[in-house]
Amino acid sequence: MRIQEFGFDWVAWAMLLCVPLIIFWQISTSLVEQEVASGGPLQNAAIFPRIVAWLMVALSGINLFRILGGRVSKRSPIEGTPTTRIALVSTVVFVAYLIALKPVGYYAATPILLASLLRMFGLGWASSIVGALSMTIVVAGIFEGLLNVVLPLGALKFTLFG
Amino acid sequence: MFQLLSEGAPLYFTFASLALTVVGVVAGLLIGVLPGLGPLMGIVLMLPVAFHLPPIPAMAMLIAIQVGGSAGGSISAILLRIPGTPLAAATLFDGYPLAQKGRSQDAIGLSITASSIGGLIGGLVLVMFSPILAAFALNFAPPEYAAMAILGLLTIAIVSESSAIKGLIAGGFGLILATIGTDEFTNAYRFTFGNFNLTSGPHIVAIVVGLFALSELFFQIESGDFLKRPEIQKLVISFRALRLIAKHKVNVVRSALIGTFLGAIPGAGGDVSAFVSYAAAKRLSKPEEGYGEGAEGGVVATEAANNGCCGGALIPTLSLGIPGDASTAVLLGALFLLGFFPGPELFRYNPDIAGGIFLAYLCGNTVLFVAGIVLVPFFGAVLKVSKAWLLPAVLLLSMMGTYSLQNSIFDLWVMFFFGVAGYLLRKGNYPLAPIIIGIILGPVLENNLRRSLLISRDGLMIFVERPISATILIIVTLMLCYIVYVTIRPSPKTAVAADKGCL
Repeated sequence: MRIQEFGFDWVAWAMLLCVPLIIFWQISTSLVEQEVASGGPLQNAAIFPRIVAWLMVALSGINLFRILGGRVSKRSPIEGTPTTRIALVSTVVFVAYLIALKPVGYYAATPILLASLLRMFGLGWASSIVGALSMTIVVAGIFEGLLNVVLPLGALKFTLFG
Repeated sequence: MFQLLSEGAPLYFTFASLALTVVGVVAGLLIGVLPGLGPLMGIVLMLPVAFHLPPIPAMAMLIAIQVGGSAGGSISAILLRIPGTPLAAATLFDGYPLAQKGRSQDAIGLSITASSIGGLIGGLVLVMFSPILAAFALNFAPPEYAAMAILGLLTIAIVSESSAIKGLIAGGFGLILATIGTDEFTNAYRFTFGNFNLTSGPHIVAIVVGLFALSELFFQIESGDFLKRPEIQKLVISFRALRLIAKHKVNVVRSALIGTFLGAIPGAGGDVSAFVSYAAAKRLSKPEEGYGEGAEGGVVATEAANNGCCGGALIPTLSLGIPGDASTAVLLGALFLLGFFPGPELFRYNPDIAGGIFLAYLCGNTVLFVAGIVLVPFFGAVLKVSKAWLLPAVLLLSMMGTYSLQNSIFDLWVMFFFGVAGYLLRKGNYPLAPIIIGIILGPVLENNLRRSLLISRDGLMIFVERPISATILIIVTLMLCYIVYVTIRPSPKTAVAADKGCL
């Protein structure tokens, strides 16, 4: 019942509780190995993260009781909207883009990403392709041409303004 | 006061700074007009570009975006009854009814003029009080800075839109993020997981873009209506508002001062100041003015306050290094990354930079008046652009802006990770601003805490033995008592019931 009603509260609670747990794990392993997990304020690199992590654990504990008692400010049910599916597919396409960006390069990967998004948002194929190409070139012109940024070249080492 | 301005004048009055002020105001107005985006998003999107510029032109552009973005939200509030930003929410009360009476031109003119005047009044207060506060802060040593950082973080967390507990957890998350990388005292690698990309910590801009821009894109996609194009009344260029606003001079000054005062309190924010000044204006109005039915005074009060608030928020940001809200936290981060440290040192060692920033803020508000009025027909047309075009454009700008910081695809993954985290946190009703404040204040807090403990021979006693830090900690304690009271007081079902529509 509460899990359904405060679904995103639980997700966020679990995610944020992981943060101090990771901190404690890292202090007991990496920082101990580097011999900076104890001693005075000068030598102890763990002193501050440890304090904050304990505070986060305490606050997460309080928040747990608030969620269980239904005392959080708003409900947060995990409910989709008619376009949640598009949001999820867009996310998958974006992850694929990030993976492909380095080997494929900006000029090949970006128009595909943008055209897919424009098409998913309801535009026709022609508008999507022309729009995607235009945006890719304009943004490349700004970053490569004006700001001298080296955009990912990919295997073909292709660039327009570099 | 005038010495700082005269020292900053040679730095600010260059072609680059003036041109970027105009560009920033127009970009800010543009992004403020579009519902869902706001000054923070504008600053976030242009932040990577700013790092390719000299300090003053960069800050001039970012501050101008904040100024334009704070005013731009009113245009969509007046024309569509959808505030472009939360800052313009109170402008709905009278702006939209005024437009429905066929006076949308007057409503927009008044909102832009009031924003500009409000911003200028806030700017004058900023110029007068920042150096005084900074001079006082010269008495600060590590214990005082540590106490101030705790106070800043606590204030932001308390007045966040969600609960104080969630605000504090978000702030803690920000503090933890700030510790990733190389420890300044021991040179040890903390929480890098052996990844060399993290030896200097995740780039703050990648985090900010992810948390705010990317999560907002997820929300916008979920809300649908990709091809919707609203009907907009025909708009022309008109300076009639100058004549109209003369009838509201007391209201403008009062609202701007309320906005500035509330803006200077970390976390209070422009939306709160707009509602407070609206309430004050309504209370002091005559019944025939018809507040809530299209009163000019209502538009003037809210817009003067939310732009005055920008000036107010810059006071603690520049003089103490404690940001007033999320936008100023990002501005503060930008100033850090450009190589300057806000606080008393800025006024002592770089008065020209401080003066240049003041001038940028004042000129930004002057440009706002002209650009806001002249470009009104353009902004009306922009509101007709569908989300289908807008969202991919914002995504591309966010990505390439983030990539260009260090030519790093790793930063894009950081952006994506924080985009997902930001989405989940927002869905769980966690405020995001404390995370950014935590990242900014984290190094200030940690370094000064460890330095204080190093100086002290009695451990934590150094914090209570020094009068200024003791006073700040008393305020912190009172705030903590307030949080405990709010958390344990018996109001179990109210919010949930209200959310369900039972109340």
